[in-house]
Amino acid sequence: MPLIVLLCGALVLYPIGFLINESLNVGDPSAFPPEEYGLDNYANLIDDYRVLTNTALVSCVATVLAVIFGFLQAWILTRTNIPGRQRLERLMELPYYMTPLIGALAWGVLLGPKTGLVNQVWRSFGTPGDLFNIYSPWGIAWVMALFEGTVAFVMISAAMKSMDPSLEESSRVLGAGKLRTALRITLPLVAPGVLSATIFVFAEMLGSFAAAFVLGIPGRFYVVTTSIWQATLSFPPDYGRAAAMGLSLFVVMLVTLTLARLVLRKGTYTTITGKAFRPREMDVGALRWPLLAIAWGYILVAVILPLGALLLTSFERFATVIISQMQFTFANYETAMQMGSVGPAFINSLILAISVSTIGVLVIGVLAWIIYRSRMPGSGAAEYVIMFPQAVPRLVFGLGLLWAWINLPIPIYGTLWLLALAYFTVFLPLGLRTIASVVLQVDPSLEECARVCGAKWGYQMRTVTMPLLRPGLVAAWLLIFIASVRELGVSIFLMGPNSKVIAPAIVNSWLSSSSELSAAMALIQTATIFIAVAILFGVARRFTGVTQ
Amino acid sequence: MNRIEVTDLVVRYGDVTAVDSISFAIAPGELVTLLGPSGCGKTTTLRSVAGLETPTGGSIRLNGDIVYSGRRNVPAEKRGVSMVFQSYAIWPHMTVFDNVAYGLRVRKLPQSEVRRNVERVLDLVQMQDFATRPASKLSGGQQQRVAVARAIAFSPSVLLFDEPLSNLDAKLRAEMRVELRELQRRLDITSLYVTHDQEEALAISDRVIVMNDGQIEQIGSPEEIYNRPISRFVADFVGSANLINGTVRGPSGKNRTLMFDAEGGMQLEVVAADESRSGQEMAALRSSYVHLDDPLETHNTVQGTIHRRMFHGDFIQYVVDWPAGQLIVRRPPTELFDEGSSVTVSFAPEHCVLI
Repeated sequence: MPLIVLLCGALVLYPIGFLINESLNVGDPSAFPPEEYGLDNYANLIDDYRVLTNTALVSCVATVLAVIFGFLQAWILTRTNIPGRQRLERLMELPYYMTPLIGALAWGVLLGPKTGLVNQVWRSFGTPGDLFNIYSPWGIAWVMALFEGTVAFVMISAAMKSMDPSLEESSRVLGAGKLRTALRITLPLVAPGVLSATIFVFAEMLGSFAAAFVLGIPGRFYVVTTSIWQATLSFPPDYGRAAAMGLSLFVVMLVTLTLARLVLRKGTYTTITGKAFRPREMDVGALRWPLLAIAWGYILVAVILPLGALLLTSFERFATVIISQMQFTFANYETAMQMGSVGPAFINSLILAISVSTIGVLVIGVLAWIIYRSRMPGSGAAEYVIMFPQAVPRLVFGLGLLWAWINLPIPIYGTLWLLALAYFTVFLPLGLRTIASVVLQVDPSLEECARVCGAKWGYQMRTVTMPLLRPGLVAAWLLIFIASVRELGVSIFLMGPNSKVIAPAIVNSWLSSSSELSAAMALIQTATIFIAVAILFGVARRFTGVTQ
Repeated sequence: MNRIEVTDLVVRYGDVTAVDSISFAIAPGELVTLLGPSGCGKTTTLRSVAGLETPTGGSIRLNGDIVYSGRRNVPAEKRGVSMVFQSYAIWPHMTVFDNVAYGLRVRKLPQSEVRRNVERVLDLVQMQDFATRPASKLSGGQQQRVAVARAIAFSPSVLLFDEPLSNLDAKLRAEMRVELRELQRRLDITSLYVTHDQEEALAISDRVIVMNDGQIEQIGSPEEIYNRPISRFVADFVGSANLINGTVRGPSGKNRTLMFDAEGGMQLEVVAADESRSGQEMAALRSSYVHLDDPLETHNTVQGTIHRRMFHGDFIQYVVDWPAGQLIVRRPPTELFDEGSSVTVSFAPEHCVLI
C-alpha cells in the first residue's frame, strides 16, 4: 500500500522537476538533458511586457466583473425574498458545467465581427459596423467573468449563508435600522469572504486559457497562457521559454492563492462558523421585480443566450438569425460524428473518461483510506503531494507532462495511454477531496463495531465500509468523468494524431473550419456533461438519507 | 474466576500517557463503572479491553485467558466481547434486523437460529415491531435499543458500554438507565461501563472505579464512593461536597472519631479511613448530610445565617454563612428558611470525612 502512495507521488513530482530543469535550459531548446544552464529564460520574460500587461488587463477586468456579478447574485439569491430563488440557485451551476471553452465559442457565435448573430441583427437595422467585437480584450474578460468566475458566486454566497442571523437581529433590537445594520454589521462581516473570493478569482483568471485562446488568437492578442502554448508551437519549439513562463505563472498564482487563504483566515471573525444557519431573508418589497430581472438577466447571458446560439447554429447550414435565410439541417451533427478525427475524438474522450474514472476511483479510494484512516506515518506529507497538481495551472502541468514523457524511453507519447496517465495525475486532487469527505463522514465506530461483533477485516470491508462509502465513490467517479470529458489544458499538449480528444478537437475545428460544425460538437460535449451531472444529482439525492 | 482482569495497564500516545498503570478485576455478573471527567483515560481503558486500542504495557485477561500482554494481542474480533458505542454505531444501510443479526451471521449460525435469537433480543428491548425498519429511520432512543440488542444478540461473555446514554435527553436517559440495569441483571452478563455522569454511575453500578488523569482514584460500591470519598477529587467529582480546611488534633476518645480544628475556630468531630492521621488536613462534608435547625446531633453544631436560597424542585439549595466561610446545604423542599434568618447547622461525625 505505501507503494501506491510513492507511485502517485512520483507521477505528480516528476513532471514538475522536468519543468524546472527545462526552464533553466539556455542551450539548444530541444536537447535533453540541457547542454547549458542559466537564467536567461526568466530574464527574457521582461521583454514580453505586452503579454504581461495583456494578462493583467484581462485578469483585472474579468475579476471585477465576476465579483460584481457574484456578489449581486449571491445577495439576491441568499438574502432577499424574490420568488423562485431555489430554481435560480440551481441554474447558477450551469455556467460552471458549460466550461469556459463552450462559453467562448457561444459568445463568438453571438458577437463575432460581421458573422456574429447579434451583430447580424445590428446590421439589419442599417447601422454600420458591429455592435460589439467579442474578439477583443473586453470580450475575453466578459467571457472569463461569466464562465470562469462562477466560483466568486459560490464563495460569496457561502460567506453570506454562514453568517449567524442573530448578529443582525441584535443590531435591529438595539435600535439600528435596515440600512445601518447592512452597512455596519452585514458588510463588515462578509467583507473578508468577498476579498478572499476576489483574490482567488484573480488567480484563476491568471491561469485561465480557453477564453483567451478561442477569442484572442484570431486577433493575435496573447496572454501568458496562450503565449506558453504559442512558444511550444513555434519552430523550433521554445520549451525553455514556455517552461519559464509556466513556472513564473505558477509562482504568482501560488502567492496569490496563499494570500487569499490568509485574508480569509485573518479577517474571518469567529462568529462565522461551519455551522449551517438559515439566513434571514430581507423583504425587499417592490424592489423584488428589478432584482428578479437582474438575477434572470445573468442566467440569460450565461446560459440561455449561449446555449440558444449554439443550438440554432448547430442546426443551420449557415449561421444566421435572418429568418428568410435560414436553412435547417442535421448535417453538422452527422459530420461531427463521422468526420475524419472528430467522431473518433469523441469516442476517445469517452473511453478515457470511463477508464480514468474507474481506475482513479479504485486507486484514490485506497489512497484516501491510507491517508485518512490508517494513521500511517507520513500520511500528511502524502496528502500534500497528491493535492499538489491542484496548485499548478492545468496548462503548465500539461507542459511538464509533455516534456517529462517525451524524454522517457517508454514509447507512450502520442497514445491514449499517456493521456490516461496525465488525466489520472491531474485529477488526483479532485478524487481525493471527494472521497476524503465521505471517509471523514463515516464514523470510525461503525467499523469498530463490526470488528467487535466478530467480523474479520475482509468481511467488515464488504459488509460495512464499502456500502457506506459507495455514494462518495460514485460521486468521485462522475466528477472525474465530467472533468475528463471537458479537459483541455493538458490534452492540448499531449494528444497526438491518433489520440485526439473532444475539447482540443472542438478548438481545432473552430480555428480551421466552420462555426456551425463547432457548435454541434460543443453541444455534444455539453450534453454528455449535463447527463453525467444529472446522474450525479440523482445519486446524491438517493444517498443523502444514508450518509447522515 | 474473574471475567475481566486488568493488570498494570499502560497506554501511551507519544509523550502523552492516557492510562497510567491501572489494575482492577470484575467478577462474573458484576456491573462495574469507570467514572471520570473527559480525558481521564476511562474510554481508552475500555477500548483496550475491547481490542480497539493497543496498550503500551501491562496485561488484560478475559475469562482467564490472556488477550493482551507485551507479547500477545488478540484482535478485537477474536475476543468474544461485545460493545455498545457512544454514537450507537447503527449501520444506516441495513435494516434493524440485519443490524442485530450481524454478530450471529459472522458466527455462521443457521438461518433459523439467527431469526430466533434476533427476535428474542428485539423482544427484550421492546423493538420487536421495528425489525424490518431501515436503521436510518430510527429516533435516538430507538437506535440505543437496537445497539443494545445487537450487542447482546450473540450472547457475549462480557459486555462493554462506552457512554451509551450520553446522547439521550435527560428524561429518556433516566428511563434507559433503569432498563439497562434491569436487562443486565436479568441476563446476568458481566459488564464494564464507561460514563462521566456520576449520578448514572452511582445508580446502576455494583462497583464504581473513579479515574482521574490516567489513574484510579478510588474503587468501591456506590455508597462507599459517596459516603467515604478518599480524595479531594472523588469528593468533588461525585456528588456535591463542602471542603473544610483544618488541623487534626488526635482521637476524640469515643466512636473512633478524630478531633479537627477547622478554620473559623470550629471544633469538629470527623472520621477517617486511617485513624492515625494528624496535622494539616481537609475534610469533605456532603451537602445533603447537613441539617438546619434540627440539632439531633450532639456534636458538630454551629450557628449560621442563610445567605441565599435557590429552589431546585427536588431539593432546595441553601448557601449558609458559617464560621468557615460559605456552606452549601441541600434540604428537602419542605424545609423552608428565609434568606437572612439564623439557623443551627449540624451534621454527624461520620459524614465529615478526612480526605
